[in-house]
Parts: sequence; C-alpha cells; structure tokens
Amino acid sequence: MSALNENRKNAVLFTIALVIAAIYLFPLYWMYVTSLKTNSSIFAVPPEFLPGAPQWQTYALIWNESDILRYLKNSIFIATGVTLVTVIVGAGAAYVLARYRSIWIDIALFTILMLQVLPPSLMVTPIFVAFTSLGILEYPRIGTILAISAKTMPFFVILCRAAFMSIPRELEEAALVDGNSRAGAFVMIVLPLARNGILVAALLIFMQGFGEYVYSASLIADNRLQPASIGMTNYLQPNVVTWNAIMAFAATYVTPILAAFVLLQRKIVSGLTSGALK
Amino acid sequence: MGRLARSLRDGIGFDTLLVFFTLAYLLAFAGLPLLYNIVLSFQSVDMFALGSLFHEVTGLENYRAVFEDPLARTVLWNTILFTLGSVLFQFTLGFALALFFNQAFPGSTWFRGLFLAGWVMPGLVVGVLWNWLLSGDFGVINWLLLNTGIIDDPIFWRSDTDYSLLAVMLANIWYGVPFNMILLSVGLAAIPEDLYEAAELDGATAVQRFFTITLPMMRSTIGAVIALGIIFTLQQFDLFAAITSGGPAGSSMVAQYWSWELSFRQFDFGRGAVIAVMMIVVVLGVAAIYVRSTRQETRL
Amino acid sequence: MKRLAAAAFASGLMASAAFAEDVTLTMWTESSNAPEGVFAKEFSDMDNGIKIDVREVRFDDLVAETLRAFATKTNPDIIAIDNPDHAAFASRGAFLDLTPMVEQSDQIDMDNYFDGPRSSLTWGDGVFGIPRASNTIALYYNKDMFRAAGLDPDSPPATWDALYEAAKKLTDPSNDVYGIAFSAKASEEGTFQFLPWVQMAGGSFDNINVDGAAEALDLWKAFFDEGLTSPDTLTRGQWDSTGTFNGGNAAMVISGPWELKRMAADTQFDWGVTLLPVPSDGAPRASALGDFNLAVFANSEHPSEAFRFLEYYDSQVERVWPEFTRMPSRKGVALAPTGNAKIDAAAPVFVEQLQYARNRGPHPEWPRISKAIQDGFQSALTGQKSSKDALDDAAAAIQKIMN
Repeated sequence: MSALNENRKNAVLFTIALVIAAIYLFPLYWMYVTSLKTNSSIFAVPPEFLPGAPQWQTYALIWNESDILRYLKNSIFIATGVTLVTVIVGAGAAYVLARYRSIWIDIALFTILMLQVLPPSLMVTPIFVAFTSLGILEYPRIGTILAISAKTMPFFVILCRAAFMSIPRELEEAALVDGNSRAGAFVMIVLPLARNGILVAALLIFMQGFGEYVYSASLIADNRLQPASIGMTNYLQPNVVTWNAIMAFAATYVTPILAAFVLLQRKIVSGLTSGALK
Repeated sequence: MGRLARSLRDGIGFDTLLVFFTLAYLLAFAGLPLLYNIVLSFQSVDMFALGSLFHEVTGLENYRAVFEDPLARTVLWNTILFTLGSVLFQFTLGFALALFFNQAFPGSTWFRGLFLAGWVMPGLVVGVLWNWLLSGDFGVINWLLLNTGIIDDPIFWRSDTDYSLLAVMLANIWYGVPFNMILLSVGLAAIPEDLYEAAELDGATAVQRFFTITLPMMRSTIGAVIALGIIFTLQQFDLFAAITSGGPAGSSMVAQYWSWELSFRQFDFGRGAVIAVMMIVVVLGVAAIYVRSTRQETRL
Repeated sequence: MKRLAAAAFASGLMASAAFAEDVTLTMWTESSNAPEGVFAKEFSDMDNGIKIDVREVRFDDLVAETLRAFATKTNPDIIAIDNPDHAAFASRGAFLDLTPMVEQSDQIDMDNYFDGPRSSLTWGDGVFGIPRASNTIALYYNKDMFRAAGLDPDSPPATWDALYEAAKKLTDPSNDVYGIAFSAKASEEGTFQFLPWVQMAGGSFDNINVDGAAEALDLWKAFFDEGLTSPDTLTRGQWDSTGTFNGGNAAMVISGPWELKRMAADTQFDWGVTLLPVPSDGAPRASALGDFNLAVFANSEHPSEAFRFLEYYDSQVERVWPEFTRMPSRKGVALAPTGNAKIDAAAPVFVEQLQYARNRGPHPEWPRISKAIQDGFQSALTGQKSSKDALDDAAAAIQKIMN
C-alpha cells in the first residue's frame, strides 16, 4: 500500500472514530450543558445545544449548599478501602486459579462467580442485620467497605486471573529451584510481573467503589460519613428536583474520575491490551 | 518441619490457603446473605421482625403466590428480553468497536480511552442522565429523532408501555458497551500477529480471517464476557430505579426490581426472597457456562 | 410575641434540666430544611441540656430504613413519618403511646388538632405522635391561558364535566401546552391524587369500585387518550408535573400548598387556585390529607426529652405556614400573611379544601393497599383493563389484604 493510500485510510478511520465517539459521549455532553442552563431554558423547545449564558452559580450553589466536598472525601475513602480489601483478599485466589487446571479449580471458580448473583438491594438486609449484631456498624464506612468488597471480588478475581495467566511458569519455577518458598516466589516474582494487570483491575474496582449507592445508603446512617452517591440522591427528593442542580451535582461528582481517566487512559488501555491482561 | 508446614511452604497447601482465604471472605459476606434469602423464601416474614432468621414456616406458599401473580409472566418475559437484548447489543457493539480500534490508526488508543468514560460513571448518575435524555416532552433524544424525520410524534419512552423496557435497555447498552469493548480488545491483542500474516499469504480474505482465526482464538474471552455480561445485567438495579421504577403498570418490571419492590415497597419479604431464589438458579447455569469456557484457555 | 413565647418556653426547660446531663436524641426526617429539622436545630441550640442529631433519609427509603433499624434496635428516638405509614408502626407497638405525657402537658392538647390528622396517629385508645402539619390538593390554573382560550378566569371549572371541557379548550399542541397536569405515578403520590376522586364519587379505599369511581377513572383516561395531559403524567411525581405548569407547558395542575413558594418565584403569568372539581353541582367534596406526623419510638431511652421537643414543635406551629407554606394541623391557628399576594390569595382556598380532606387508612397494611390502588388506575390508564375491571380487581385485592 502506498503512503498516500495509507494516509487516506487513516483519515477515514479517524473521522469515523470521531463521529462514533461524539455520539457515544453525547449524554455526558448533555449533562454538562444542562448543568449550565437556567431553570426555564432547560425546558426550551427547541433545546439549546450551547448554553446561551452559562449559569456557573449553580455550581457555587451546589458547592455551598450540599457539602459536596465532604461527600466526595467519603467516596474516596470508601473507594480506597474497597480497592485495598479486594486486592489483598482477591489477588491470591486469582493467582491460584490461573495456575492449575482441575475440577477443584472449576468448582472454586464457579463458587466465586455464583456468590455474586444477587443485586446489593437484596443482600443489604441480611448484611445490615448481621453487621449490627456484630457491632461492625459502629464503624459504618468500614462495614460498607467490607460489604462492597464482597461484591467487587468476583470481577477482580476474573480480571486478575487473566493477568496471572500471561506470566510464564518457568520464571516462577526457576525461583523455586533457587530455594524460594512458594510465598517468596509469589511475592518476589509473580506479583511484580503481574503488576500492570493488577493495577488496572484495581483501578476499575476503585471506580465501582466510588459510585456505589445501595450499601452506603443503608449502612451509613450518619450524614457526615455518607459518600457522594447519597449526597446526590438528596437532590432527587420528590420535592426538590431541579434538573440543573442535579446535573451540576452529577458533573461535580464524575468530573474528577473522568479527568483522571482521560489523563491515565493511555496507560490503562495499553496496560489492558498490550500483554498485561493476555 | 511438619508435613503441613512443608505443604504450606512448598506445595499445594500454599495454594489451598490462598483460595480458602478468598472463599471464606466471600462465603461470609455474600454466601450467608444468599442463604438468608433462601430461608426467607419458605417463611411468612413479619415486617417488624427482620432481625430474626426464623419466622413462621409456610413451605411453598410464597412460591405459589409469586407464580399466581398476574405480573409473574410479564416479569419473566421482560427479564429474558432485557437480559438477552442488553447482552446481545452490548456484545455486538463492543466487539465491533474493539475490532475497529484494533486497527492501529493515529489516535486509536486515545479514542478507545474515551469510551471508558461511560463505564466509570456511577450507575445512579447514568440512570438520572438517561431519565433526562429520554423524557417525553423535553427530552433531547425525542427532539433529535423528530427533527431528523425518524419519528413523527414524540415517543414517551418512560411512560409508554411499549417503550419503557426499551428505554432502560438503551441506557444499559450504553453503560455496558465499554466493558465489552475493553475485555474483547484484550482478547484481540492476545492473538499472535503471525497467524494473520500466514493467512494473508495464503490468500484468505478479511472475513475468512475473522471466522477462521479471530473467533476461534477468542472463544474463552467471548465466553467470559458474555457470562459476566449476563450476570451484570441481571444485577442492574440503579437504572430501573432512576428511569421507570418498573412501570408504568409493571411494563418494565424485571426480576431483580420486582424482588426489591415486593420486599421494600410492599414489605412482603417472603415473596421478594422467592424471586431472589429463582435468580440464583439462573445464575447457576450462567456460571457453569463461564467455567466451561475457561477450558479453552491456553496458558503460556 | 412568638419569639417571646419561645424564650419563655426555653427558660422553663432550662430550669427543669439544669442538673441533668446533656442528652442527645436522634431524629430521622426527609429533610433538615423541613420545619421539624429547622425547629430541632433551634431546640438544640437552646441551653436546655438536649441535643438533637438530625439524619436525612430519602422519602422513598424512610419506611424500609426504619424497619431495618427497628429490627436491630438502632432506630432513632424521634421520626417524622408520612401519615399513611403511621398506623403500621403504631399498631405494632413500635411507637410510644404518648397519652400519659399529653395528659400532663401544658402545651399539647390533642383536642386542638383537626380530626383527620389526629385520627391518622391514633390507634386503639392510644395517641402515637403529633401532626407536623397538614396539606391537601387543589386545582391551580393559569389565568392568562384561560383568557386566551376564551374562558372566564374568575370562574374556574367546578365540576368534572367543566374540568374536562376546560382541559380540552386549553390544550394547544402547537405551543406545547397540555390542558392539565397531575400525577398518576405508581407510588404513594399517585394514590394521594387518585383517592379523592373515588371519595367524591362516594367510594373509599375499602370500597374502591363504586360506580362513580369508574367514571372518575374514565375521566382520567380521557385526559390521556385525548392528549389533554402529558403521557409522562403516568411516571411523573407532583413536583415535576407542577414544574411543567410553572414553565407554561400545562394550563392547570392538581397539587398542594408546598408548591406555592416555587410557583410564586418561577412563574411569569397570572395564576389562581380553586377547589377540586366535584362530579356534579352539590356533590360531596373530598380531598387528600397529606403531610407527616412526629412520633417517638417506644424503645427510646429518653422519651420525656423527646416529648419536650414535640412540645417545642407544637409551640412553634404558627410558623409552619409563613416560613414553610405548610398548613398547621391545629385549630384556630390563622395563616399569617406571607407578604406575597399570590400565596396569601391561595391560603383561604387550601384552608377550605383541607376541611374536606380525608385520611388514607389508617391501616397497618397501607403500603399494600396503596399498591393495589396504584395497580388499579395504572392498568386502566395504560389500556390493559377497562376502568370497571381494573377497580373491581383492585377492590378484590384490597379485600384480600384487609382480611
């Protein structure tokens, strides 16, 4: 193929990519635009695709009125806890499940997947009752972290298992021959090699923890400890729905993670696609 | 050194310990709640006695009540339609995008990264956003469809019994496409380049290469993606809560939402648990499919 | 005068609590900006040895959260609860019977409350709380649109037929205007809006399939079938529906006094409020009785402190109208002028409408009864059943629940 043809092909592909990305991201764009409109221009027909006079004060209002900073801090706290617990508890199993091939491994894999069948909305009552009687709810955010981690664990194990599968077994065996214990070889050789895959999976788990709603709503009674997902529903009360305020809250809530993703996306995507997760 | 210690240090004991650790955690925090739901399904549960595990045992009474409910058939049908429809479109669109971005053109990684934006959004935010996009009188989607001449009258996505389930499905497909695309991209990247080069030398067309190389090499990835897709879709709750609440007149009610509705709107915890048990049975099958698909995996 | 009373009240408390340890109570409510939230903050700021921690719980989740907490004895001391949900808690002994304390009280006298709110919190011989406020629904209408459609803005529709005719005349698809907005949502809001129509036709929640009720439902269905109301009325709550009225996309809306503040601020047209239209001239009136009650849990460790807050709330009841546009449940409390002419003109209409307001229940199984009613009107409005069949099925379901 000539260079000219190659260029033309690239231009066409680039244009197509631009169009589908624009279509896909339109809902997000609409969130931002709506958040900047006035209460009446929200309902204008035809809709305004660019806000005539951006209403930045809606953001100021959200910032002052709804303690969004406190909510976001709690979200980050919970998401961090969920990530740590999930990685620490889940990584070992993912490694073992990638290492062997037997009926017992099948059964373990099956059990792990099975245990994530019910949506949190149906699990929360027994968890609430058990956590209360065990006193775990004295520390409601910890309790929430433990409950969410049980939900994110199966997904993490499956993603990480793929990462461990891509590590040549010979490297680990060489370490064992050198006199390392199994634990030593796991920590010194296998984990560093699977680092990228684990990090990317952990990042995805972080996102799930960041957006979780059902457990946080029921397990955390104190407004001061609740995450931003709960803060947002306070804007969805039957008697206070204003779309621009909700969208402004939503935008404030997701923009930090979106920004982090746009900045890190090269690493994430290449970490996922070029070897780490084979 | 004892046998146990030796096994823990150098042998299978180490592996058993690691898996046991994870399983114990999951059994405690996910297994016991599951069991609680199963036990509740055989009991008549008073709404003020949620704290105790044992109530008046009524055998299959709750099951009978659920199956006799006129809504049961709608829910069964909706759940099947929602799950299969969502997974089919998420998978097809995700696969198409993965193949598209697999052609290395300038900016392809960057664009692929943008699609992750959908996935990192909290479910609740996605639901609220789509509720707004799909609103009947002021929704921007209706406006676009009307002005491009695709429809003549606005569609009341949330309130029309013919469209309500589709409305939630649209949002769910949007939400799930990035997940499918990324996992499938990972699978595509794992196929050795030289297989394609050899096939090209043999004169195979792009379509032939897709069916003889790509699909067979992707079998385990596809199995995993579809199994996870079904399980995630069966758990989808936030979108229903934010867009239709299962209505109007139950037209977009699915199992997971109905179960919650019976438990926490009508406070009939026994019947809510029955539906949870039904879902467990379905996921048993799906999990089995996933485990089977791992048999095709190859390890370095 | 009001302030003075509050100060005197506070000092009285101070004297009695001078030697007591500081007591912290918890209260759950839908919003800390509601009267009980604001009053609780004032009450905590007084030097009376009592602090109240307020937790906001989403309205939709309030009962479920409370049940869960009650099961594990982690429930609050005080709760503000929607009045139809009150009976379930009162009948199971979850709430404290305040009768002995009320007898001792210089502030609270149950006879001062209107019958409706009082009966919503009475179960057997016991009194299980005090009303927070009362509200009801009436018909708001856009006077400018009435004039434009050739209708008399000073004689708004008084009967169902007139309402239908007006809605028809006012509907203007080319300008995106629907004749009427209301809420037929499958939630307590929908029941709240539909039940008065059944009651005006001579029915009630335990007699939902009287002949006139099917006529009412047919009228609702005509609004939908003839495009006189937005199809989203099926899934929209009252606040959102009223939003379309405020934005000029609906010429009439059925909603309550909680809308007044926003309406006065947002609208750029002339509007008024009138009583809910009746089936025919001279037919009995009915309306829904809404709003919350304040209750103390039976397992509270500080019942007398909690009751003192209830007394404080009752002492401030004159403020609930001017500051929150909620209507006091106590007799003889005039609605003080708010300074806004539109709101003050609406006040007497709601006062009159409130006289006809009836309870939902009280019944311990109210959520399930309400669900049967919602299923009834929704299945008719979506064309799955005829109005008659839908209400017959609802009546059968309700009978089953009640027996």
